[in-house]
Amino acid sequence: MADDRYSQPVPHVELKALALLGLVLGLVAAFAVYVLYARGTFEETQRLYLMADNSEGVSVGADLSFSGFPVGRVQRIELVPTGQARIVIDVPRKDTRWLRQSSVFTLERGLVGGARLRAFTGNLEDKPLPPDAVRPVLRGDTTDELPALITGLKRVLDNVERMTAMDSDLNAGLAAVRAMAERLGGRYGALTALLGSEEEAKKLVTSIDRANVLLASLEALSHKLGRTIDKADARLFDSGGVMDETQKAVAQLNAALGDARASLKKADTVLAEAQKIAANTSSATADLGALRAQVEASLRKLSALIEEINRKWPFARDTEVKLP
Amino acid sequence: MPQLPSSVNRGLIALGGALIERPASWLRVFRFAGVALVTALSPSAWDPAMRRATAQQIHFSAWQALPGFTFAAAMLSFVLIRIVEGTARDYGLSQYALGLTVRVLILELIPVLAALFVALRSGAAINTEVTLRHIRGDFETLASAGEDPLRHDLVPRAVGAVLAVMLLSYLSSAVALVLAYLALYGISPWAIGSFMRITGQVFGPVVVAGYALKTLLFGAAVAAIPITAALAVPREREMAPIAVLRGMVRLGIAVAVIEGGFLAVMYA
Repeated sequence: MADDRYSQPVPHVELKALALLGLVLGLVAAFAVYVLYARGTFEETQRLYLMADNSEGVSVGADLSFSGFPVGRVQRIELVPTGQARIVIDVPRKDTRWLRQSSVFTLERGLVGGARLRAFTGNLEDKPLPPDAVRPVLRGDTTDELPALITGLKRVLDNVERMTAMDSDLNAGLAAVRAMAERLGGRYGALTALLGSEEEAKKLVTSIDRANVLLASLEALSHKLGRTIDKADARLFDSGGVMDETQKAVAQLNAALGDARASLKKADTVLAEAQKIAANTSSATADLGALRAQVEASLRKLSALIEEINRKWPFARDTEVKLP
Repeated sequence: MPQLPSSVNRGLIALGGALIERPASWLRVFRFAGVALVTALSPSAWDPAMRRATAQQIHFSAWQALPGFTFAAAMLSFVLIRIVEGTARDYGLSQYALGLTVRVLILELIPVLAALFVALRSGAAINTEVTLRHIRGDFETLASAGEDPLRHDLVPRAVGAVLAVMLLSYLSSAVALVLAYLALYGISPWAIGSFMRITGQVFGPVVVAGYALKTLLFGAAVAAIPITAALAVPREREMAPIAVLRGMVRLGIAVAVIEGGFLAVMYA
């Protein structure tokens, strides 16, 4: 059974067909205008030439960005006789204020995506960039550093390989460490490791044993010495010892000296009285003066004797000799 | 000389026939496409009967299919845009999401979908109807009655199919562009400049010319292949399904070849 939609005459069919035809033409025209506008065909532009050593990654239609905003578009890339790549960029007039004479242009190529052209303007008050200006492009991208990085890495790997080779210093060192560890785990442990062989370590152990024996005999000797010193001490300083007797003798000597001092005082008194008598008898004075000089000489000798005794014997209680 | 088995003999005859028949059938397609193009571009050919017939074919192929296909394409576009945008964002490449969407969806997927949709809807119907009329001898009857079957029956169908493919492609592409903007930037008007700049980069002169040529070729294939397949079969009723089968298979191959060829030229 036929569908009525397809068999019945359609009202206003020609009008609908014309509308659809108009819609198609309208879409085509709108798309064309949109594409032309989107590609900047209607924009008034200023030309800028960027000279690069390598324009790899830059494509026609790519943006020149300033502070992340596109301010220009690559129109053409060509190789000039100097071997450089000339990137022709159209900058819309309204965006030329961002580009100054002192502007710097860079070409950066990341690991992902195409190359990015960037403009940097340090001084926005500088003179504006003239039309058809030619500027160099500084390169600063990740991929350019990769070869150097890989070279460095390769060098490191070569070093590691050399270090880990069978005859490398590291392996020799490890072998030495292993030998030392084996010695450490041997009979004499660290001694074998330090001295190089078990025989040497054995000698050292024997020496230590002998030193121990020597120390034991020295200890016994020191005990004996201690006892001898104790005895000498008792002999010298105990009651009734040498020192005690000496002290007693000195005390007796002191007493004798005290008696002598008393006698001298008396003699001095007598001499004083005699002087009074001699005051009248001047002739006798000279004899008495000579006598006195003799007595004083005797006293000085005695005093020197006492000082000598006191110097030689520091235990004296009273070292002062009181002269009249 | 030993005789070949009869089955092998029949196979060789069929193979030889196919080798001769296939290039001949493709030549008929190009010949019909050329004749239809010349007829459509000749103002004198457009008498009222042709205009009416063409309007009816445009109505059948484009007007009736427009809402459903546009809606389906919009849904598919939105889903694909979201997938591309989400994936690109996950990988930190969201700046490439729009370019990828435009290239994959608008330049490649939607034209192919439009061509296949018109082929399955209008192409199959045209193939069947022309086959039956060819078997019945309607075209000879029309010719004897003083009418031109080419102008009043076949070329209007071809024009309708071509226009349908172009309309569905262009309109769905426009809708997909709007959806891409909305999906990527929301309803903010501040991304229009960036959007236009990126799409402008994608729509280079070669790309646009290729896109236009591709939709035209898709339309021509959808229009010409079913009609020539229908006219090539013997006038036997049991040959009608074979004519439709051949027409649709050739159409599928032609769409694939056109798309593959353009992909190779644009990206290889």
